Amino acid sequence: MTVKPRRFEIGVDIGGTFTDIVCREPGGALHVLKVPTTRGDPSRAVLDGVAELAGRFGVTAADVARFAHGTTVATNAVLERKGARLGVLTTQGFRDVLEIGRQLRNDVYRVILQPETPVFLAPRRLRKEVPERLDASGAVLLPLQEEAVLEAADALVAEGVEAIAISFLFSFRNPKHERCAAELIRKRHPGLALSLSHEVDPAFREYERTVVTAFDAYVKPLVDSYLARLEHGLAETGIGAPLQVMQSRGGLAAADVARQRPVRLFLSGPAAGVIGGRIVGASAAADDLITIDIGGTSADIALVSRRKPMLRAEGVIAGFPVRVAMVDVNSIGAGGGSIAHIDASGGLRVGPRSAGSEPGPACYGRGGTEPTVTDASVVLGWLDPARFVGGRLKLDPAKAVAAIEHKIAKPLGLSLAQAALGIHRVLNAGMAEGIRLVSVRQGIDPRGYALVPLGGAGGLHATALARELGMRRIVVARVPGVLAAAGLLAAPIEHEVSADFVVPLAGLDLGAVRGKLGQLDARAAELMAAEQVAAVEVAISYFADVCYIGQSYHLEIALQPDAPDLAQRLYRDFLEAHDRVYGHSVDSPARLVGLRTVHRAGGSEVLEEMRFAPSGGPAVIGHRDIVVAGEASLVPADVYDRDALKEGFAFSGPAVVEQSDTTTLVEPGWSAVVDAAGNLVLTPQGA
Amino acid sequence: MPQDAFARGLDPITVEVVRHKLEGIANEMQQTLLRSSFSPIVKEGLDASSSLFTMSGETLAQATAIPIHLATLIPVVAKILETFPIATMQEGDVYCMNDPYLGGTHLPDVALVQPVFVDGRPIALSATMTHHQDMGGMSPGSVPTTATEIFQEGLRLPPLKFREAGKYNETLVAIIRRNVRIPDAVMGDLNAQLAACNVGARRIAELARTLGDNQALAIFDELLDRSEKLTRAALGSIPEGTYTYVDFSDNDGIELDKPIRLEVAVTVKDGGFHCDFTGSSPQVRGPFNCVPSGSLAAACYAVRAVTDPAIPTNAGCFRPISLALPEGSVVNPREPAPVNSRTATIKRITGCILGALKDVLPERVPADSSGELLTLMFGGRHRDGTAFVTGELIAGGSGAGPHSDGVDVIETDVTNCMNLPVEAMESDTPIRVHRLALRENSGGAGRQRGGLGVLKEYEILDGEVAFTCRGERHFFAPKGAQGGSEGAKAHAVIRRVGGSAEIIPSKAMTILRAGDRVIVETAGGGGNGPAAQRDPQATARDLADGKVSS
Repeated sequence: MTVKPRRFEIGVDIGGTFTDIVCREPGGALHVLKVPTTRGDPSRAVLDGVAELAGRFGVTAADVARFAHGTTVATNAVLERKGARLGVLTTQGFRDVLEIGRQLRNDVYRVILQPETPVFLAPRRLRKEVPERLDASGAVLLPLQEEAVLEAADALVAEGVEAIAISFLFSFRNPKHERCAAELIRKRHPGLALSLSHEVDPAFREYERTVVTAFDAYVKPLVDSYLARLEHGLAETGIGAPLQVMQSRGGLAAADVARQRPVRLFLSGPAAGVIGGRIVGASAAADDLITIDIGGTSADIALVSRRKPMLRAEGVIAGFPVRVAMVDVNSIGAGGGSIAHIDASGGLRVGPRSAGSEPGPACYGRGGTEPTVTDASVVLGWLDPARFVGGRLKLDPAKAVAAIEHKIAKPLGLSLAQAALGIHRVLNAGMAEGIRLVSVRQGIDPRGYALVPLGGAGGLHATALARELGMRRIVVARVPGVLAAAGLLAAPIEHEVSADFVVPLAGLDLGAVRGKLGQLDARAAELMAAEQVAAVEVAISYFADVCYIGQSYHLEIALQPDAPDLAQRLYRDFLEAHDRVYGHSVDSPARLVGLRTVHRAGGSEVLEEMRFAPSGGPAVIGHRDIVVAGEASLVPADVYDRDALKEGFAFSGPAVVEQSDTTTLVEPGWSAVVDAAGNLVLTPQGA
Repeated sequence: MPQDAFARGLDPITVEVVRHKLEGIANEMQQTLLRSSFSPIVKEGLDASSSLFTMSGETLAQATAIPIHLATLIPVVAKILETFPIATMQEGDVYCMNDPYLGGTHLPDVALVQPVFVDGRPIALSATMTHHQDMGGMSPGSVPTTATEIFQEGLRLPPLKFREAGKYNETLVAIIRRNVRIPDAVMGDLNAQLAACNVGARRIAELARTLGDNQALAIFDELLDRSEKLTRAALGSIPEGTYTYVDFSDNDGIELDKPIRLEVAVTVKDGGFHCDFTGSSPQVRGPFNCVPSGSLAAACYAVRAVTDPAIPTNAGCFRPISLALPEGSVVNPREPAPVNSRTATIKRITGCILGALKDVLPERVPADSSGELLTLMFGGRHRDGTAFVTGELIAGGSGAGPHSDGVDVIETDVTNCMNLPVEAMESDTPIRVHRLALRENSGGAGRQRGGLGVLKEYEILDGEVAFTCRGERHFFAPKGAQGGSEGAKAHAVIRRVGGSAEIIPSKAMTILRAGDRVIVETAGGGGNGPAAQRDPQATARDLADGKVSS
């Protein structure tokens, strides 16, 4: 009898404070680990965690079959302005495109302005022009002057650049000049990182394409060395499994592929979180859901519709709009650290200022004296000062009381409890409007959606938010604090290749469409082969970007290349999508503007292995008198130990459910039940 | 201070919760409006807004994507309340209006106003304004640059019932449809406005039912009082006095040698903000006249810009504002003066009000920005005979702040419009762009340098193209602050294929032929502080970047 080799899969998500690690063996239990993030070199925390996995759960390097990773390295490089010294090469006459942008400003009421384009990527002296020009059809008007390319590159290298972004006008119609320039530079300066605009973002609008290309080149050396360090470290521990990295669209890519196009990694972590939300929803039979990740300073909202995370074609990187597809995660400035204060007219305001994690809320006892939302939660009895984040951080309730008493309750003439409850009511009112706006923008009514809190603080706000929004179901995952890491294990490997393709839908040449898609497929297939994924495992979907003729915004429409009535179907589906998203459609002529192929392999709808084993301890671990909305005096509430709750266990609010990574408040009027997957499902009574 | 709230029997928390809701409702209306509008001006220029009003005609909450809409619905709502007394309002009524001389802005901006009923009583108004693609008149789009009377600009709608008790006013609908070039699109956009008004009405009614309508009304009053108090307190930190400023627009497009003078005396006193425009030019023949709602938007913008941005925007912020607008002047024209191009004038008025405060608020007001939005239109035919029309909106540099250089080529003050990508223009028209570049040496010198303008060069490749240019700042440079220099003036020239050069005197309408080139240069922003105090490193950086040449 042979022993079947164990095949562990590891998901690692690096957050600002903690690096979360989830490890599973198909058919086996799920191991969860949190280690402190090492900011200087985040790969150290990952390797520490892997070592701890071995120590605690006996997972040996040889057992690891897959290693999936969500990384913040690209985002941090931009936030901390630590990317490469970058040069930009453009068509003669156009080096200022990157700096001028679309001339928009973000805050319209500001009169002393700051640059709105990412000029920091490459100031004017590091942007060089070369004589070359294509027309709108891609025909050469002025051949590339090769000598000028080398001169420009030499000058940039003399200035110390480590990476060059090449963005020529209309290169997406004819990549010849960009390719030629890249070859010349590679020969002369083999160490430089290069990003070519027709490869990074083959679509019209020169500013948008240049910005994506510049961001790509800016983070390339850093991402490359980070992934190399991590791969090296994993190899040293004996892990031979390929390293996979989460991309902003919600699909994984092999490190070798990901490092070629690092601009796709900016939302790596949040994308994994949304996939985590999706698997939780799926395990609770909720296909439409809204995830809300409430942290210290902000709350991130995302939508999953029919089990698909909503994507946006243009995302935001460190405040700069950048045309790269991402999961549509919307951040609002409200969180546990949001500071409550009284304005000069006597109004209670909560946020947008935040105490962050340093000094943090007053109750952290790190010198903070401003009353925050977390302080209010302590005052209201919702958080147990001794058991916050599994007891790792002891809270000082006296400091929370003092801050709220002196800064809010007394000046407003309210009781301490009223003031603390008021802080929550105000925060929730703002947050509920934020969620509503994100939904309405997507043409979605939140009432039919389930609310899935992620992260640590969501559970305290869930019933209040759901009530406010008319949502009738809340699904609290068993491990909401590590859902991003779990999401990594459920995500598919995914590669997307697109091309500019502008033709009217009327009289569409189907052969040309199929021909183009064939080319795109060939490139996607190469990428999949690099992942060592067999062609038979790959599912392919096709999309067309379609708009009315004259319209400058488009919609992504799924496409069946084999359908004989392809054009008619596209048009019909376009009208339907237009109606859903924009509320109307008309029979005006439309056109294609782009084609896209998406190759996917693996991934799962649910992590069946997230089956759980209750701890066997008592369900109720205590009783507390807490304050809840609508009750004049304290109400007694049972405190439950989440780890002990068995499938089918049911109770009603008021109640508090504690677990190491979150606390859930079940307000009066809500029922709770543990489902088969271990989720805590809350529903309003009488619904 | 909170005693006021208690005097009304309100708890301060509910007040703040309701404030969040009102802002959320205005935002949801605005999303609905943007999402369901047809007009590209709405989708891409964001030229639309949504507001909630009290029954006394004060703004409760407002969602604006561009500030030129700030407060512009106030005079409309006032006129509607005057025309349709509250006692006569029925559930399902929706009023409409666009007449600038009765409180509107210009004819493409049509307002819809819907009373919100709770238990048979109107408790608030839900209102929207959209820039429609066409309202008839002498040219497509209803913004004719050569208009000399409002009658040429399109269909004028006095306060009318667009719907009565839930039914369309078919007479009005028929008249609108027969007077606009694209009736389906215009009706589509009106229906988008209706949908947004309905969202506001539904949610306000829900809110009032939850709170009790008397309680809701008391909270509305409280919120306005609070914003007023905060705004007056912020204005109180400005030293009292009267501050004057004069600036000029180039001309009205008809009489090219006549500059338009804009003069303002801003009096800040006792928490009030009074703008007196005595000394401004008489009304002009061309369409650059600005009706009072435009000056109100400019004043509201200036107040929002110099006070705390955290103050909730509602009528309370606007209560301290008063205006003196001399009748028959460019800021308060008499009928039937044309008004469609008033954006340029509103931008200059805004610049004047801010400019007046420049010396007294040196930390909050920068040097003058270019304050221009150069508008170019190209219209012609492709080789295959199909027509094209392309518009382009181009900004200049912003004024330098006390501690930071101005920003190169960026939209300022009450507008926020995108430029046209070179690749979009060349794909859709027989026009080639040869250069798009920062304009060297155009930023005003100073301890902090003004932002640079832009240079853009076009060549007509084929056929004949009708070309319209509406520039500004060709004759009057943006001024510096605290000893900083002025920014460079704008400049534009047509280089004919034969070699002759025609300098454009700010405005022009002409025919371009294949080979002709147009080179436009927008103005730079003013500098801040004496140039001699500029950090040598910043100067070295500017030299290395070629932003200045010496």
